[in-house]
Amino acid sequence: MLRQIKPRNARSKRALDKKAPKPTENPKTALFLRGTTCSQIVQDALTDLHQLRIPLAKKFTKKNAIHPFEDAASLEFFSEKNDASILVFGSSSKKRPHAITLVRTFAYKVLDMLELYLDPDSFRRLNQFKNKKCAVGLKPMLLFAGTPFENPVSDEYTMVKSFFTDFFKGEPADKVDVEGLQYIVSISARDIVDGEESKPSVHLRIYLIRTKRSGQKLPRVEVEEMGPRMDFRIGRVKEADEDTMKEALKRAKTSQERPKKNISTDIVGDKIGRVHLGKQDLKELQTRKLKGLKRSRDVADEEDDADEEDIVSDEEPVKKPRNA
Amino acid sequence: MADSTPTLKPSKLPILVSKPTPYTFDLGLLCAFDPNPLQLSSSENLEEDLAATARDGAQALLNQLLSTCPIVSTPAGVLLSLPGIETRLPREKPLPPPKALTTWQRFAAKKGIKSKTKEERKKMVYDEATGEWVPKWGYKGVNKAGEGDWIVEVDERKERERKEGTERQGDGRRERKERVRRNERLMRANERKGRKNGRKS
Repeated sequence: MLRQIKPRNARSKRALDKKAPKPTENPKTALFLRGTTCSQIVQDALTDLHQLRIPLAKKFTKKNAIHPFEDAASLEFFSEKNDASILVFGSSSKKRPHAITLVRTFAYKVLDMLELYLDPDSFRRLNQFKNKKCAVGLKPMLLFAGTPFENPVSDEYTMVKSFFTDFFKGEPADKVDVEGLQYIVSISARDIVDGEESKPSVHLRIYLIRTKRSGQKLPRVEVEEMGPRMDFRIGRVKEADEDTMKEALKRAKTSQERPKKNISTDIVGDKIGRVHLGKQDLKELQTRKLKGLKRSRDVADEEDDADEEDIVSDEEPVKKPRNA
Repeated sequence: MADSTPTLKPSKLPILVSKPTPYTFDLGLLCAFDPNPLQLSSSENLEEDLAATARDGAQALLNQLLSTCPIVSTPAGVLLSLPGIETRLPREKPLPPPKALTTWQRFAAKKGIKSKTKEERKKMVYDEATGEWVPKWGYKGVNKAGEGDWIVEVDERKERERKEGTERQGDGRRERKERVRRNERLMRANERKGRKNGRKS
């Protein structure tokens, strides 16, 4: 835990305000770091992922003796010190070769972790593809293909989806330039087959988008691989505990009005509203007044009342023809 | 037509993507979800298959973006307005606690003081009886109603309690002036109290 700083001048106050929690948050910064042993392949992969995430990224080059799944305290320290809530940790060992651990933090505490083992044979670096790269800091389009990502229950694959959505989200924007839609990040996985030991690997591919005139209103899209190319096997997973996740998923109340319920407009343009009334009290209902049903009789001679009522009901059919 | 003369007129390139299960989108994130099983023929053709899937996805996403989002053309470029993000992603820091109420806000809430509405702030009020707009105060103000009446009904009780040496003439005006003075007195007292508590006046 870092020392709580009370700002003594305007500059440090501004810096603290920038870090402070906000209703609509700053975009998440990703921090890339490596363990004591880290293969060249993983280092290259980290460099490329960092390249894709610039400017919302920081990269450390020194070795860190960290084992995220055993003790994440130093990761939490780095997260707080650098105000980074996505950490990408690369390491390599005999037991866990070419491991990339994705860590998300909430309030500078580890929220969830996901370990991915990079396939060294199929890995291609960004600069191994000889073509023009897209501009730095562009918002990518995202595609998740395959049935594993659609699991309604949270599992490794939905976590992969959540992590990569967070990773490639970029800066929040309500407007994007059409020219800026230059590349797509495609993350795909084969179906999970029951009875098969190994889980299907996750393929991360990044393609440049080439649009052609199709002779119709919308253009025809072609893709060209830009790199990097990574295939991952899923390793260890630490899921977020429910309470923290619930807290983390809270959204600020927005000032914009909510849509009014029960009011709609029909085709003609008339406003139609549905009004809910309380339960109607039928005892108070005013029915047809009859002389015989008057309440202002004495309670004492109830028998008389009953007699009169009889008379009235007898009379009624007689009266009717008279009226007609 | 297009089939008969393929060399002269290239047939229209297909832009529609048809999949057994339709795509779902989160346009705020520029994200498409393809719930169909991945079509992989063999391990040699993996890259082609993945590229084909990505192409279909990109096409579907672009189609959806260009057909549903409002497009504005500005000097800076053609801008797409994106809808809000639907996918729930965790925040990085907890929501900030609600701001603490100021001393005045707490006092006003306790006393039930509300700020005046726009209507209340106006000087002119509508007089139902005469159908005219009259000022609340000042020249011909409604707070002076009844002061200039040349004939007034005698209130027996008030006459009995009347102090020696005063008369009914100008009673309304005197009461009004007293109210103003009382309010000013209270205001001064409040200011004094505020200064005593260490706050600036």
